[in-house]
Amino acid sequence: MASAPVRRLEPAILLIGATGIAFEIVLVRVFSIAQWHHFAYMIISMALLGFAVSGTVLGLLGRWAREREGTLLRVGALLLPASLVACYEVSQALPFETLQLTTRPGQWALLLLLYLNLSLPFFLVSWCIAAALLLRPGRVGRVYFANMFGSGLGALAAVGCLFILPADAVPYALGFVALGAFLLLAGRDRRWLAGSLVLGTALCGVLAVRGPVPIRVSEYKGLSYAMQFPDARVVARRESPLSRLTATRSSLIRETPGQVSGYPMGDLGPFPEQIGLFFDGGGVSPIHRFDGSLEPFAYLDYVTSALPYHLVRRPAVLVIGAGGGTEVLSALSHGASRVTAAELDPGVADIVAELSDFSGDPYGRPDVDLVIAEGRGFLESHPEVRFDVIQIALLDAFNASAAGVHALSESYLYTVEALTLYLDRLSEDGVLSITRWLKTPPRDAIKLFATSVEAARVAGIEEPARHLAFVRSWNVATVLVSRLPLDEEQIRAIRGFAESRGFDVSWLPGLHADEVNRFTVLDEPVYFRSAGAILSPEAEDFFRRYPFHVRPATDDRPHFFRFFRWRSLPALVSSAGRDWVNYVEWGYLVLAATVLQAVAAAGLLVLLPLGLLGRRGVSDRGGARGSLVACFAGLGVAFMFLEIAFIQKLMLFLHHPVYAVSVVLSTFLLFAGLGSLYADRRRGPPVRRVAIAVALLAVLAAVYLAALPALFRAWSGWPAPGRIAVSVAILAPLSFLMGIPFPTCLQAVSDRIRGLVPWAWGVNGAASVVGATVATLVAVHAGFVAVVLLALVFYATVPVALRGLIVSADAEAGSG
Amino acid sequence: MKPWLLALGMTATIAPPLSSQDSDEYRDARLEMVREQIASQLGGRNPVGDPAVLQAMETVPRHRFVRPNDVRAAYGDHPLAIGYGQTISQPYIVAAMTALLSIQPGDVVLEIGTGSGYQAAVLAEITDSVYTIEIVEPLGEQARERLNELGYANVRSMLGDGYFGWPDHPGFDGIVVTAAASHIPPPLLEQLKPGARMVIPVGAPFQVQSLMLVEKQADGSIVQWNTGAVRFVPLTRRE
Repeated sequence: MASAPVRRLEPAILLIGATGIAFEIVLVRVFSIAQWHHFAYMIISMALLGFAVSGTVLGLLGRWAREREGTLLRVGALLLPASLVACYEVSQALPFETLQLTTRPGQWALLLLLYLNLSLPFFLVSWCIAAALLLRPGRVGRVYFANMFGSGLGALAAVGCLFILPADAVPYALGFVALGAFLLLAGRDRRWLAGSLVLGTALCGVLAVRGPVPIRVSEYKGLSYAMQFPDARVVARRESPLSRLTATRSSLIRETPGQVSGYPMGDLGPFPEQIGLFFDGGGVSPIHRFDGSLEPFAYLDYVTSALPYHLVRRPAVLVIGAGGGTEVLSALSHGASRVTAAELDPGVADIVAELSDFSGDPYGRPDVDLVIAEGRGFLESHPEVRFDVIQIALLDAFNASAAGVHALSESYLYTVEALTLYLDRLSEDGVLSITRWLKTPPRDAIKLFATSVEAARVAGIEEPARHLAFVRSWNVATVLVSRLPLDEEQIRAIRGFAESRGFDVSWLPGLHADEVNRFTVLDEPVYFRSAGAILSPEAEDFFRRYPFHVRPATDDRPHFFRFFRWRSLPALVSSAGRDWVNYVEWGYLVLAATVLQAVAAAGLLVLLPLGLLGRRGVSDRGGARGSLVACFAGLGVAFMFLEIAFIQKLMLFLHHPVYAVSVVLSTFLLFAGLGSLYADRRRGPPVRRVAIAVALLAVLAAVYLAALPALFRAWSGWPAPGRIAVSVAILAPLSFLMGIPFPTCLQAVSDRIRGLVPWAWGVNGAASVVGATVATLVAVHAGFVAVVLLALVFYATVPVALRGLIVSADAEAGSG
Repeated sequence: MKPWLLALGMTATIAPPLSSQDSDEYRDARLEMVREQIASQLGGRNPVGDPAVLQAMETVPRHRFVRPNDVRAAYGDHPLAIGYGQTISQPYIVAAMTALLSIQPGDVVLEIGTGSGYQAAVLAEITDSVYTIEIVEPLGEQARERLNELGYANVRSMLGDGYFGWPDHPGFDGIVVTAAASHIPPPLLEQLKPGARMVIPVGAPFQVQSLMLVEKQADGSIVQWNTGAVRFVPLTRRE
């Protein structure tokens, strides 16, 4: 049965591609709010395998499908809007709780259901594209261009949309976009038009009667807990692609970062009232009641992060990650002459200003300069400014830190290069102060100390031991680096500060072993000994033998929060028994689990059926299927490796995660789309064309690896539009070249064995998902340079595999 | 020897007598829980050896403190959800926290964060007077009813803010803080008698990583120990 002719195919595929990637971006937000972002990563990676499965299904349907591509395309496009909405709603109805995975076996079944449910929209997006590829066997590159170009626009639109709409409303908006795509495909066919009318009416009806289903936030997140307080009420909200901010007022919110047991509350009075500013329902930054009097903030002198103010009088202070303003008020109450508050999220400052009756709007004070910027980026782009104190206090919640949910997060705030920059921007006698939560067993503060030592050396400090202080309470530690060697008066001040507040000093010039581990006693003085080892010539030996990964973080391996080492696992298990999982970073375990699941699922859902395909009519005398897997898996993995590595490189240059994701991702996809269009218009031996593209890619990537760090350093002071333009200019040729091999290879398959096109599509989809997860794992262990080099190795295999594929296919055709 | 090791390290040599409540069908599960999870060196745990604590753990019907769907899992070696974002701690953690308090019959103990009421019941098996405060009303009400049903008349419960301790109370011989806290509330330290102890579990929900033991010295100064729920000797010795 021949399908009815399909018109306006490319515009429809463009919209469908846009919908797919936008849904993916929105799901990351939804699950970061509902659960935690590392689980968002796992759930969405697995759901994306739906993309690959469509190839398997179409491949298994074989000739039957190839005779009905138009109908199958329209059916897929009709189901897509409904699935976007329904699957989102089902995902919020499932009572899945990440934290109960280790105690309730039923949660694993719910997780599987979540995977299956969320994979459906991706399956349908991919189904439509694969069906379109079958419909236009001679114009594969054109269809692929529409998909890639649409995806690029979708990435841009999704980020823009998240500025306007709450994350829970976006799936419904995408439902209408997908409906638009279907209308393009429906043409004038009354049956299809009736279907779209019913669907559109149902969608409008749902929204009119009930509105969007809100995101179900885990009951174990801080906001859920706080909302149970009898007097809790939400007083302000903001939402953006960065975070969902919820300001909650309750007399029971008392978020004091660290120990204050030395605070004489009886003499100095209770702490000021607070409003809790929750980020994605989890981490909380307090907004204090502030009426202009700094007296009530005396209590902030009883936390470890107050240490720098006992060394430098009337300092000009830079607070990185100002949040609700605690560190700004602390600086002011300690007599700062001027405070510059760097805050990435403009919504935070908006809320503080909106609640000015309560907050006193400290950011509006004449002695406070608010800059909406990522702290490191601010310093890069203002090379002339100097500060007496640079203060980086606790930027994440204790529970998040304890559970290690940031283990996969790249943090360019805590790398050697970042700390070197901070030291460079200090006044002559300035100090850098960084505070982190402590973990059990000790690792977080040790890595911070090691990074500080290395940065001091890079900054030209010959004897770091004389410039460093390390003070800890029961749950936080502050590491301080002074530009000048700490003098006797400063050393006395640090000792006095710690002694009077019950803090332990773990490093200070001239510190003796009998002075440490006195107030919060550990089995062994681990911090003191570790600090000594890091400063000694045996530091390398210490890093090698310490059971956790505490080497300094660098820009190439910016995973400050990853501490897990596989070789320590046996010792950890023998120490902690079945509780070992409590002592490693969940983020890392989740990544490892995601890689395993993705590889297993890809094998089961794509490779296994393909291996069995010979029984269903596609023979493999020449080994076509093996070459096909090598070719399209190599392409998928290589593309994702390069994309992820360069997103990371540019994230640092653009100083902003939202700019980086929206600009970089959309540039990648748009220009890869143009590369596909170019490939579609060129004719000639495919192996040669792919080989040339790959060779050019290798040259370009090598040039970038060599030149970009220096260029980024030179240009990082440019204003944002200039940096965005540079980023686009850098990415455009790279992604253009990356867009050429896939459609060229796919066209070669389509020209020879059309039945293998869905398989090629499926293999590539599966490899892309696996590649994205493996790229992160490689980056964690070997750095982003290694990711780029591996990508080039994978690309290099593609022309060889394609040649094998063509030879096999031609041999098969000849013998057939 | 460090004080918490004294508290945890004593080895029980005599099986404590079982109370009348042990006639229930879960008695064997409870005995096994104490034997396998609490008094043994399972994994790297410091075994709890305090006979009074072991007896309390053998006596209190933990299955009565969990949600109906979790009764079968009540004696497992893990925490369980009790609703409202709260958990009933792993049996070993409850026992270790109780042992760290080193309470004696006649001591007056305060608990911040009643939750299911299980920790209060365990404390009430050892001492005569337990005070417990819960901020989440439904949890507090359920726990009060449960403790009444089980006959724990020596537990006084209150709904409210535990930050300032029990109103107008002169002082406690032990305080256990099971509610989430970013810092140790100074008013609680004031309600701690000289020589008395406070215990706070540290970690994310379902993930207790260490137990913070706070001791108020005779002169009013504070010393804390990060006791670790698990011994990391093989991990830290190699540095």
